[in-house]
Amino acid sequence: MTNAVDAPGAVRSARRAGRRAPRRKASRRARKEAMYFWLFISPWLIGFLGFLLGPMIASVYISLTEWDSFTPPEFVGFANYTKALTEDPVFWKALSNTFYYALVSVPLGLVIGVWLANLLNKRVRGRKLFRTFIYLPTLVPLVATAMVFKMVLAPSGPLNELLGWFGVQGPDWLLDATWIKPALVVLSAWGAGGATVLLLSAMNGIPRELYEAAEIDGASPWRQFWSVTFPQITPVIFFNLIMGLIGAFQIFSQVYILTVATGSVGGPNNASQMMVTLLFREAFSFYHFGYASAIAWLLFLVILAFTLIAFRTARNWVFYETEVR
Amino acid sequence: MVDQSRWRRGAGLTAAALIGLAALTACGSGGSDDDGTLKMVVWGGDLDKETYQARIDLLEEANPDIKVELQLIPSDQYAQKVQTMIAGGDGPDIMQVAENVNSYSSKSQLVPLDEYIESSGLDMDQRFGPAGSLYTYEEQTYAIPDRSGAMILYYNKDLFDAAGLEYPTAEWTQEDAQAAMEKLTIPGEKWGYGGAGWWPQWWSFAYQNGGQIIDDSGRPTVNSPEVVQALQWANDLAHVDHVVPTAAEYADMGPDMGGDPAFAAQTVAMNTTGFWAIGGLKDVDFNWGIAPLWGGQEQAVSAFGSGLAITRDAEDPAKAFEAIDFLTDAEAQTVIIDKAQDVPANLEVQQSDAFLTPAWAPEGLEMNAFGESADFIFRAPFIPEWNEMQAAFSDSLGEFWNDGGDAQAELDAIQTQLDSIIQ
Repeated sequence: MTNAVDAPGAVRSARRAGRRAPRRKASRRARKEAMYFWLFISPWLIGFLGFLLGPMIASVYISLTEWDSFTPPEFVGFANYTKALTEDPVFWKALSNTFYYALVSVPLGLVIGVWLANLLNKRVRGRKLFRTFIYLPTLVPLVATAMVFKMVLAPSGPLNELLGWFGVQGPDWLLDATWIKPALVVLSAWGAGGATVLLLSAMNGIPRELYEAAEIDGASPWRQFWSVTFPQITPVIFFNLIMGLIGAFQIFSQVYILTVATGSVGGPNNASQMMVTLLFREAFSFYHFGYASAIAWLLFLVILAFTLIAFRTARNWVFYETEVR
Repeated sequence: MVDQSRWRRGAGLTAAALIGLAALTACGSGGSDDDGTLKMVVWGGDLDKETYQARIDLLEEANPDIKVELQLIPSDQYAQKVQTMIAGGDGPDIMQVAENVNSYSSKSQLVPLDEYIESSGLDMDQRFGPAGSLYTYEEQTYAIPDRSGAMILYYNKDLFDAAGLEYPTAEWTQEDAQAAMEKLTIPGEKWGYGGAGWWPQWWSFAYQNGGQIIDDSGRPTVNSPEVVQALQWANDLAHVDHVVPTAAEYADMGPDMGGDPAFAAQTVAMNTTGFWAIGGLKDVDFNWGIAPLWGGQEQAVSAFGSGLAITRDAEDPAKAFEAIDFLTDAEAQTVIIDKAQDVPANLEVQQSDAFLTPAWAPEGLEMNAFGESADFIFRAPFIPEWNEMQAAFSDSLGEFWNDGGDAQAELDAIQTQLDSIIQ
């Protein structure tokens, strides 16, 4: 992903340079530099053109056809898109499920991440041990985590037992259409340690003087957090937000592993059907490659829209030290 | 006027694009060696690999001019991998097919085998019985049956003895079965039956009632009274009669719990599944037996199996057929049962001592349950839209199985869905 972001920038700056000195003959050194540029960029460039751009362009065409992957594709115009948007109830269900998941799990993951990072930033005994524990879940393979979660979320499992102590009758998490999405959110919160580590390193980078100054001015710890810590870590929060959004909209493995044993991925009754699981099913189980490609591009538009919104609003809350004048 | 640096940049981009294209085309034309080796793909695990390889060794020994390269693909990736191979123009010569065989044959990805069958003098009816016509689509045969065994009833003899019950037989009716389940159930602890939420299970009941999922003219008939009654019965066993664990009760037993492991753990006294469960029961410390499934108004049971087909990418279909002919003949099929992999489709082997008293089986295991069931196996509708049909059922019935409900309403909805799925 970082590659895809870097590349257009690199090309743009090269173009600018070209405009500034249009007629000057490139010096020996510049030519040599250009040669090295192409030499070192070529592995990525070849990979991008051959394995990303090519298939991407192909999938635009495929999305305008009806193709079962065996017989030649048949051009149908925008029929796949209209089918998704107007006829297929499962598509809308998958889209709203994906929204639900992304819009709940990403902010929740960030809040938990910031909270944990802030706790771990305190000088307490066994701090290193706690840091390790909090990062550990990120290292456990998803399949193993999902297995444990199936036990934890069982109707009479430990979680519901815990709820029972407070007089709450826990639901049949994974078997209930209403509760399977919250269960997926819980599973995603389990991996919040990944963000915590990044946020923690950002917090470590905040100069001590800022806190000392704030303390002298009589700022409470709460005030210190909101006026010193938080603004300083907003770039990392922003990074986690963008990555989290992209990841959340593409959620696949979690749903697949938690529901495949029931015989219907995305079940029960499509309550956990997500965009990518739907796409996968249409392409590789139903042989509707055209329709699956159309879903992929619609998902692309959704992710693009949310990323743009995040970038637009970022000016209002993300603080970059270098931009302070 | 093209300045030099711009030209250079253009040339660089063009070169990169060309390299990219070259990489793409290189993928497309991935070479198959022309030494006449047949590529055969199958799914499964270690036991399957070992069994297929042993059969291929026999084949190569008997036919020095045939070489087969076996490729085993994990079951959950099989369809996708083979699809990609075929779409890339590099399909296997021989492939294993099952319920969704006609998603390939309807798109002319498989070679019709009738002329090869005729010229080789293979008598499908004699070798395979009713299973011989399992893989026909629009009057043409697309695969030769290879493994084919009825779903059978596993029962816990110790629990039956303790409850003072006679062991099940093919003469049992659905009522007999339910009466036994009720006697075998100890609430909250043991259940009479493992459940019928999987299509081969509850569809069997539907066909026992005289119903059909797809009628003879090819239209769905899933909301007929016979099918509705079967589905309602299957689900009520869990949610009304409590003689089958509910989904919630299974989830409490452990992750991915179901009838097969619950039977091995003696939590359920009866279970309906395929041959493969025998492998998991070889070392249990209780007495168990197998019997043909009970009947309803008529006898009907589903079968599990697979066939071998030749894809249109095969360079020498005649040779590939020769290989399949050998692999489904008695000698090679005996390996399937010797290794306890599955039920061989070849009837001669099914009736042989090698099958009826295998060396690995517990003493007195009623292996003839498979032969007995063979007479009333119903023919499941292997339509080209098989996967979509299955998804329509599992999508809609998810909550129904988990929480109980009204079969008529669910099947009415599924009927509407299937009407639009099935062309």
